[in-house]
Amino acid sequence: MTAPGSDAIVVDRVSKSFPMVTGAFNWIRHLGRPPRQTALHDVSLTVASGELFALLGPNGAGKTTLLKLLATLSIPDRGRIFIDGVDTARDSQQAKRRIGLCTSEERSFYFRLTARANLEFFGSLVGLQGKTLRRRIREVVELVDLRASLDQRFESYSSGMRQRLTVARAILADPDVLLLDEPTRAVDPIHAEAIRVLIRDELVNRQRKTVVLATNLLEEAWRLCDRVAIINSGRIVALGAPTLLEQSAQAIRRFDVMLDALDDDLLARTQSVRGFQGLQIAHERLGVKLTVALRVTDSSLADLMRALTANGSVLRDFRPVESQPVDVFKDVVQVKSDG
Amino acid sequence: MVERRELPIGGRLNAFFDTLGKAWAIFVRDARLEVAYPASFWLQWLNILVSVTLSFFLARLFGSSAKFGFHGAASYFFFLTVNLAFVRFQQTALMSFARGIRDAQTAGTLEVLLATPTRLPIIVLSAGLWAFGFTALQTVVYLAVAVLFGLDLQHANIAAAAVFLFLTVTSLSTLGVMAAAAVMTFKQVGPLDFMMSGATNLFGGVYFPLSILPAPLQAVGWTLPITHALSGLRGALHGASLAQLAPEAMWLSVATILLLPVSLVIFTRAVRRAKIDGTLGQY
Repeated sequence: MTAPGSDAIVVDRVSKSFPMVTGAFNWIRHLGRPPRQTALHDVSLTVASGELFALLGPNGAGKTTLLKLLATLSIPDRGRIFIDGVDTARDSQQAKRRIGLCTSEERSFYFRLTARANLEFFGSLVGLQGKTLRRRIREVVELVDLRASLDQRFESYSSGMRQRLTVARAILADPDVLLLDEPTRAVDPIHAEAIRVLIRDELVNRQRKTVVLATNLLEEAWRLCDRVAIINSGRIVALGAPTLLEQSAQAIRRFDVMLDALDDDLLARTQSVRGFQGLQIAHERLGVKLTVALRVTDSSLADLMRALTANGSVLRDFRPVESQPVDVFKDVVQVKSDG
Repeated sequence: MVERRELPIGGRLNAFFDTLGKAWAIFVRDARLEVAYPASFWLQWLNILVSVTLSFFLARLFGSSAKFGFHGAASYFFFLTVNLAFVRFQQTALMSFARGIRDAQTAGTLEVLLATPTRLPIIVLSAGLWAFGFTALQTVVYLAVAVLFGLDLQHANIAAAAVFLFLTVTSLSTLGVMAAAAVMTFKQVGPLDFMMSGATNLFGGVYFPLSILPAPLQAVGWTLPITHALSGLRGALHGASLAQLAPEAMWLSVATILLLPVSLVIFTRAVRRAKIDGTLGQY
């Protein structure tokens, strides 16, 4: 893959591993080559210019690792990364000029300095000076609703305010590409929604920024982003527009089943149905409720019905469950990572 | 769009101003952080008075000796005061670079700093601007207080002292940058601090002239930049000319020329290693 002009970000077969042990003693014990744990396996993706792209996955899936690689804070074992056509390995300075990073680490400011002094400092390091810097600070704090507290020390900020200040810092230099690591983490619902509106309406729709958003919040990714990459165990297990992912996951459906009783025999029959994906059991007042996930084929539904009603079992209710983003996420993460 | 200085368009002049702007930002940050801790800030000044007073009374135990001066006899008060005033530059080199990295690791600002388009040498070397400037100011005050206690600086060669001050800062900065690289790798500042302070006090000729040590230990002292820095500064403040101090000046100049690029390469490699191992933000 080469670096095309229209793609703001190109990740080409990138793998990344980390040493499993640290410290000088372990380093010597392993003769300078400690065992490493792979965090990303051969990941490839592109993000178009002006696209809002989500990295979604459970904790430890590799989202932040990928984000740090994009921000040049980490170096891949293999593969290449291009930001606006710039190879990050060859010219990280030029790549960094195009990037604004919003970390999920709320400590990343000087606690004893005011928010204004912090923004002045970080703004200077991205090349802003004088009037331009002061104007940008006014603009960005307005966008994240921190104007009134700009001259308070950072240590007096709440977690939510700190997170909003990291968003302000990321957009301060007006970069073309924004890397946002859980930007609404610890933010109250009203300001979280305001940040989402800022990202979607102002930064992407109006200013045509390219945004990569790493998040654990399924609804946020689903509702906000043009495309979603679901990462699990260092691999991209699904990638596409939320609607397409839902369609592809339609093959796996869930059914709520109400039975009089559940015995081992019935359980074994249900689990042996072709296309069976998973099962949840809840004991309720009227009987036992099963939620069965099934990869639907021509015969699987009929097989399930037969399994549920064999040997005189009484089936009280049977209804399909409407697919939710969380179901799509669960299916994709479980099924494809197992595969 | 925000106007930013793009390096290729403006050429070298713009790159120079870009660098100056970033160095100034780091200087202002450090100055603000210094005064943000008022108790620590004011205690440093009080400490100067305590140190000079201590030296004054300690010096009463000894008479003047040729060993304490450059040409001719000088008092132990002169020897000790000048040494204690200027040995602070070595502590500053460690504090500003190694502790600067350590503080950035613990504060969580290191990754954000390194994600900006600011070159590593600017980030690490600019961390010494405020610290060395502030230490220079404290040193002037230190000597001024010492003059009130009877320190004789009538024959001081100010120009030679200024040259040695510059050489002291540059040569010790190289050690500071290497210490910062060690902190980047090992996440600890304590052992380095101890080793460098211990070696300085024992072999650097801070509390006693190096000439009273056995020859092998004098050789160890000769390898330390602080030995030559203090020797040159004592000589300049005792009235020696630059020509007379040429060997010391040459030693510090050569050490700086050799060690500055080496220290920056070591630091750059330490950062690269941290990026490979994913330990940049760890502490």
